[in-house]
Amino acid sequence: MIDVDVLVIGGGPAGLAAAIAAKDEGARVMLIEREARTGGILKQCIHDGFGLVRFREQLTGPEYAERFIKDFEDRDIESRTLCFVSRIEKQDRGLLLTVVSRKGVDKIRTESLILATGCRERTARQVFIHGTRPAGIFTAGAAQHYINILGQQPARRAVILGSGDIGLIMARRLTLEGAEVLGVYEAKPAPSGLSRNIQQCLKDFDIPLYLSSTVTRVFGEDRLKAVEICDVDNDMRPLEGSEKVVECDTLILSVGLIPENELARTLDITLDPRTGGPVCDGNLMTSVEGVFCCGNALHVNDLVDYVSESGECAGRSAAAYCRRESSDPSKAATVELHPGEGLHYLVPQHLDPEQGRSILYFRSSRVFGECSFVVKAGEREILRKKYPFLRPPEMERLEIDFGGYSVKPGSSVSFEVEEL
Amino acid sequence: MDRLNKIRKKIGALSPDIRVTRERGCIVLRGEVDDWSIAVKAGHAAVDKKHSLGVINDIRLKGFEQKTSLPALQDRALDGRRVDVLIIGAGITGCAAARELSAFNLSTLVVDKMSDVAGAASGANGGVVHVGINFSRKSQKHYYNIRGNRMYRELSRQLDVPFEQKGQTMLCSRNWERIPVALLKLNARILGIPGVRYLKRSELLDHEPHLPDFTIGGMHMPTGGITNPHEMTAAMAENAASNGTEISLNTAVLEMELDPDSSKESGNTHIRSVLTNRGRIYPRLVINAAGVYADTIAQMAGDRTFTIHPRRGTNIITDKRAGYQVKSSMGKSPFSILPYQQKDRPRGLAGRMKFFINTLAGSSHTKGVGLIHSLHGNMLVGPNAVETPDREDRATRADEVESIIRMQQHIAEDLKFSDVIAYFTGVRASTYEEDFAVRRGIFTDNILQAAGIQSPGVTAAPAIAVDLRDWAIEYLEKEIKVDRNPAFSPIRKAVPRTAEMSDEERDALIRSNPDYGEIVCRCEEISRGEIIDALNSPLCVPTVDGIKKRLRPGMGRCQGGFCGPLVMKIIAEHQGTAPDAVRKGSYASVICYGGTKGGRL
Ligand SMILES: Cc1cc2nc3c(=O)[nH]c(=O)nc-3n(C[C@H](O)[C@H](O)[C@H](O)COP(=O)(O)OP(=O)(O)OC[C@H]3O[C@@H](n4cnc5c(N)ncnc54)[C@H](O)[C@@H]3O)c2cc1C
Ligand SMILES: Cc1cc2nc3c(=O)[nH]c(=O)nc-3n(C[C@H](O)[C@H](O)[C@H](O)COP(=O)(O)OP(=O)(O)OC[C@H]3O[C@@H](n4cnc5c(N)ncnc54)[C@H](O)[C@@H]3O)c2cc1C
Repeated sequence: MIDVDVLVIGGGPAGLAAAIAAKDEGARVMLIEREARTGGILKQCIHDGFGLVRFREQLTGPEYAERFIKDFEDRDIESRTLCFVSRIEKQDRGLLLTVVSRKGVDKIRTESLILATGCRERTARQVFIHGTRPAGIFTAGAAQHYINILGQQPARRAVILGSGDIGLIMARRLTLEGAEVLGVYEAKPAPSGLSRNIQQCLKDFDIPLYLSSTVTRVFGEDRLKAVEICDVDNDMRPLEGSEKVVECDTLILSVGLIPENELARTLDITLDPRTGGPVCDGNLMTSVEGVFCCGNALHVNDLVDYVSESGECAGRSAAAYCRRESSDPSKAATVELHPGEGLHYLVPQHLDPEQGRSILYFRSSRVFGECSFVVKAGEREILRKKYPFLRPPEMERLEIDFGGYSVKPGSSVSFEVEEL
Repeated sequence: MDRLNKIRKKIGALSPDIRVTRERGCIVLRGEVDDWSIAVKAGHAAVDKKHSLGVINDIRLKGFEQKTSLPALQDRALDGRRVDVLIIGAGITGCAAARELSAFNLSTLVVDKMSDVAGAASGANGGVVHVGINFSRKSQKHYYNIRGNRMYRELSRQLDVPFEQKGQTMLCSRNWERIPVALLKLNARILGIPGVRYLKRSELLDHEPHLPDFTIGGMHMPTGGITNPHEMTAAMAENAASNGTEISLNTAVLEMELDPDSSKESGNTHIRSVLTNRGRIYPRLVINAAGVYADTIAQMAGDRTFTIHPRRGTNIITDKRAGYQVKSSMGKSPFSILPYQQKDRPRGLAGRMKFFINTLAGSSHTKGVGLIHSLHGNMLVGPNAVETPDREDRATRADEVESIIRMQQHIAEDLKFSDVIAYFTGVRASTYEEDFAVRRGIFTDNILQAAGIQSPGVTAAPAIAVDLRDWAIEYLEKEIKVDRNPAFSPIRKAVPRTAEMSDEERDALIRSNPDYGEIVCRCEEISRGEIIDALNSPLCVPTVDGIKKRLRPGMGRCQGGFCGPLVMKIIAEHQGTAPDAVRKGSYASVICYGGTKGGRL
């Protein structure tokens, strides 16, 4: 039996940062990764654009990951790759994990746990695409794996559904590999990806973007032969009579990511339906004591820099949790953070007003032009911040210290966006 | 009035363009219509079980032409092959028959046009091992269903396929429904089905803890069970293969050559050879288990007395999270009319009586099942039943999926659209007699028919196979001596399911072979070792779908997003081929077109 203070599940940027931070705080740390190498999804993101916020440099995914992997290795943190967490049980104190690897089945006891398991992609059936089931329908991440990891070309004439960043990046990648990308189709009236990706991945390559339209059906018995495209109304329902058939051999789906929280579910951790991740406090502790969450498992990030930041927060908090006195201050006194009008979600969902500087991550629920972000304790306005615009695809980060605003524990603070 | 004229009159009222004749003991319909439902109604109107052999409905739908998918493979691998038995179709019926025959010293060849066994109806159904309460006593459905149901437990044990027998539940919403339900109970007694009882809501909760609010009670039928139909079919095929049966996939029967003199001599036609895309085969005996194409095959053999009218059905799979809502299988009683159905309820006494009688006579085509607990812990919702002219109409449709969910939300009250992880459509091979047509050849001496195997074919297949085996041996013994196969073993071992083992067992297995410790599919927790075992099985189907169907990587919530590329790589390594040679399923289902510009592994 292995015994540690902090066990990190997932060796992507979130898990690496968490392990490093916890180790620097003096905890006995171990990291578990299911794949053969750490780095998470970054291993296959060979495009650049990573690390602008943190390093003020344009790094590729593997380069960004490499910096953390080096820090991780320098600290001699214990890790296991090709190791899968099969089960977690709560104990009187701490948790007991059952892990499976090529060595066998092992038990690990840990005082605290950090979930950094990343996210998974929504699939064709989940977005209710109908028809036959030929080869040639891939999620963007799978297509990226074929090209960037296996060195295999999965497409010749491709249609991309979804204008999220991954879809945009794949449009460019496929084009560079000699495929013809017929267009990116997006059900919403505005693109979901970062503006710079629209420019660099589509406009620079003359790839058309079709808004308010979607794929409703696929054709072909062996390999995909065509897709049916439909215009959609404001509720994203296909408009009858607008069907059009586009011949192609590949459909790439970039229709959203979902935090991977199967392990959290087995621990009965409360999940936030808005984020799909656990409900957390300002230390990124979930509803189950001693269990923390960070990165894309907490909520889907668009910039890896914030993923690392949340990992560091979870790592420090977990180490602090292990050093705690017998009384448990974290559960003591929190205020609810309530996302109101104009907000899609807000992380964390509650926090201790006395903890000092807190970092909030949020997304607006729709596109706003010039607007104010308003924070209220009851009816009392405590903060107002101006934004030139807010767009749901672009997550915002805000630092607030609630200490000065005399908000009472047990009360709630609400957040709203006001159009100017 | 003469029987034929009676039928003509009924059909004439449907459409003036249909000609009705009587040929070789069958009622034959010809003509062209522009509404498929007329063709189906005419077929049903032509049924006269007492006085005719069956309905041959050749009515065409204007503008429709059947597109039959054929394997892209062309070679001569089977050319000139002589076999004792040729089985056409590797669905559950064909594979069950192959397994039964593999107990004898015969050369048996199974061909199927698809790239895997259970590629058609046998891989696209709910897997309910039916009780069979609403069949008529004289039907073949009843005869084979009750026998098949009794065989399932032992069969599942021998083939190491999971089987659960926790009963089937029919829910009642009103007190008066107990009257027709009592009649069904009586029918059960007549049919010899044990244990059927009406239970009050409070008692029923022991069997199904998540009953919808409207339920006042229901009928519990303990012999109902659940199998995994794809696994069962594959297990039968593997067992047959390890006992010496040859299974040739991607092999379509295209034509038959009939003996020119045979029919004159004995009044019986004789099949001389069977042409496929892989060459010409010379069988002593042919077993037709071709599902929706069984009438086409029977026609080639000169032994057609029936017509398949395809009936599509869609099932929906939910995430395991939603699986708690059903423990075995349940649906509302066919009599109960839920509040939302009030507007289509049968009117008046006569209307209601007719509805009851039809329901009791088993002519309603779904078995009242709505929710099925899959053996993997997901919930299956459906199926519906829609007539279609297209025998390969396996595409799913948005409106149908939506209406199935909305309808079943009355029974699974917590069911949400977001719980859906997949859906699939299968086509039932129904005859107009709405019964199986399992028989020896009538006009052709060396064919056995296993046709019209619609629901409950999964349940019935093992019993159908026993008759096919006996008839085959009876026929072959006229020509050759048939001995038992001394090497026959009825036992097949499944690939170990490491995730279901105890920690000690799993640890020991991994220590003996570390591949069992490397998890490839994270949703279903499947290891590299299990994938390699499946590739080493007696019936190796080295495609991504072949592996997925056997082990379930790619069947979980990510639907293969993570593991698809990994599985492809493992298959390529195992088979010693390039990754782009690995197919999704069929011979032409290319996944990757070759290496990227610079990249070479
Ligand atoms: C295609 C794509 C393009 C992107 N482009 C950009 C960009 O241009 N710029 C930018 O800043 N950001 C970008 N991002 C976002 C950023 O890369 C991600 O947000 C970040 O990688 C998420 O990190 P993570 O550690 O939370 O998750 P991941 O990187 O997904 O890591 C999670 C790890 O956990 C492991 N794991 C999961 N379950 C288990 C278990 N049960 N046991 C053991 N291990 C487990 C997984 O194997 C994985 O290695 C992009 C993301 C994608 C997918
Ligand atoms: C939606 C649905 C739900 C169902 N639910 C249940 C249930 O819960 N319980 C139950 O007991 N039954 C159920 N059934 C019925 C059951 O699935 C079928 O009765 C059974 O699978 C039929 O098996 P089969 O082997 O006869 O036919 P199939 O599985 O259809 O096999 C026929 C095979 O013949 C092959 N073939 C056809 N033509 C040729 C040719 N020319 N050359 C070579 N090969 C050919 C096909 O490729 C196919 O693989 C359901 C059916 C459907 C559609």
